[in-house]
Amino acid sequence: MIAAARYEWRMLLRRRAMWVSMGSVAALLALVAARQVSDEVRTGTAKDVMVSTAYLVNLVLPAAYGCVLADRLIRSAKLGVAQLLDATPAPATGRMVGSYLGVCAAAAVPPALLYFGFAGLYAGLTGTPAALGWALAAFATVLLPAVLFVGAFALVVPLVLPLPLFCVLYVGYWFWGNAVSPALLPTLTQTLLTPVGGYPLQGLFGWYGPDGTLAISGPVPHATLNALRPAATPGTAWLSIAVLLAAAALALATTAALRARTRTR
Amino acid sequence: MWIEIAGLSKRYGRGGALALDRLDLTVPTGMFGLLGANGAGKTTLMRVLAGLLRPTAGTVHIGGNDVATRPGKLAVQQVLGYLPQDLGVYPDLTGREFLDYIALLKGLEAGPARRRRVAELLELVALTGDADRRLRGYSGGMRRRIGIAQALLADPRLLIVDEPTAGLDPQERIRFRTLLSQLAGERTVLLSTHIVEDIAQTCHQLAVLAGGRIAFRGTVAELTRQATDQVWSVTTAGPAPAAGTVVSALPDGAGIRYRVVAAAAPAEEAVPVDPTLEDGYLALVGTSASVSGIG
Repeated sequence: MIAAARYEWRMLLRRRAMWVSMGSVAALLALVAARQVSDEVRTGTAKDVMVSTAYLVNLVLPAAYGCVLADRLIRSAKLGVAQLLDATPAPATGRMVGSYLGVCAAAAVPPALLYFGFAGLYAGLTGTPAALGWALAAFATVLLPAVLFVGAFALVVPLVLPLPLFCVLYVGYWFWGNAVSPALLPTLTQTLLTPVGGYPLQGLFGWYGPDGTLAISGPVPHATLNALRPAATPGTAWLSIAVLLAAAALALATTAALRARTRTR
Repeated sequence: MWIEIAGLSKRYGRGGALALDRLDLTVPTGMFGLLGANGAGKTTLMRVLAGLLRPTAGTVHIGGNDVATRPGKLAVQQVLGYLPQDLGVYPDLTGREFLDYIALLKGLEAGPARRRRVAELLELVALTGDADRRLRGYSGGMRRRIGIAQALLADPRLLIVDEPTAGLDPQERIRFRTLLSQLAGERTVLLSTHIVEDIAQTCHQLAVLAGGRIAFRGTVAELTRQATDQVWSVTTAGPAPAAGTVVSALPDGAGIRYRVVAAAAPAEEAVPVDPTLEDGYLALVGTSASVSGIG
């Protein structure tokens, strides 16, 4: 497991496509959100700035890294390495979990660089080292669960769906399930299953946007799926994180079981 | 380490092609050749032995371990070095990193010892100078050599090599054949190939696979004798002899000298010549093909 994690991490970090796609998305984000961030920096506390930046980063970057991760499991078979790996005594499930952890760790590097780079700059310029602590907390509870959730599905779904189709559907899902308002159409937005991190942002950090009215978690009048939208509290925030991690674990476990059944047929 | 195969059949999918058909074979310690045409079932057999495919019927015991069981498969894979026919590599890794990755998967844990073993094998396959280059820049022959190195990583007691010399230049081929022979000693080395010369230069014992069945099991000399009194040299300026199988055609003066495997003299001017292993193989495969209805 450690071997697979180590080398999958290394291989993904060397993949130029990851840096190009995430760099482009980050540049676009900086361009679009520059004014909002500068307003927040001028008027908000260190916590508000770090939490709102975490939301912005988590709203768009997963759309890019979900596609980047999508070829990681199918690649070994395509390259003809799979049979070599399968002939080693290393258990296939351990290798799959290792690959998952390795690629998730690598996928977290660009958001971490972007986010902590901004946090360091902010802390240095404003003389508020507490910003780094808030950044760490927001990264662990907002950005990291998203990486682990997206990573699991980005690895396993392309085993049953062609890669380009997955990428198109995934980007569509990401904005439908995380950004579209439930008042407009049935969506997973603002539910416990939303990896953009609405529940931790509001339940743990009490952040409701610059004007205090931003709704990114909890029930929406007359919307469908409100059963999945309890009010944001610390408890529901942790529940949302647990649900996302459990869904990721379930996807991986199901895939491991199916692959074990079909591998040597 | 002996390999004992009894009644082994492998069918791909329900109602699919029967790649191996009630195959019985015993492979002793040492170098053993497996010869057969493309599609004869060699790769399927190799994959079953490596634990990558489950037999449809029959049993395979390697060193007493049943490869169809989980513990048996694990026990075999712990002593196995496997070089698949279609070896793939990760282009983003260097040769050294790729070997290190496989070494870790094979359970070579201690860092310095593992790195030393990787370095030794890179030296053995003459890739030390290119060890820190990404594999995407390696030629086909260099990738093959990396494949050979990874098969030897855990000092395997069983070495299964499937078409190992494909893509190697003549010098590399000779060097690899010599290496395989040196490795045989206390190990079992199963060399699967359709290149007769590779077997002739390395193995005493061999089996011929045709249509998923064992068509021959014996020594190189015995297979060669299959063509006794069936090999002819015919020099003619006219068309090639119609009867038999033409093994070679060499320009000779004004005509062409044909080497033909045929049960009877293929032409009036035909002269009998001594058979080679290739002649024996062709004589055998011609017979077994006509018996089993293939080809």
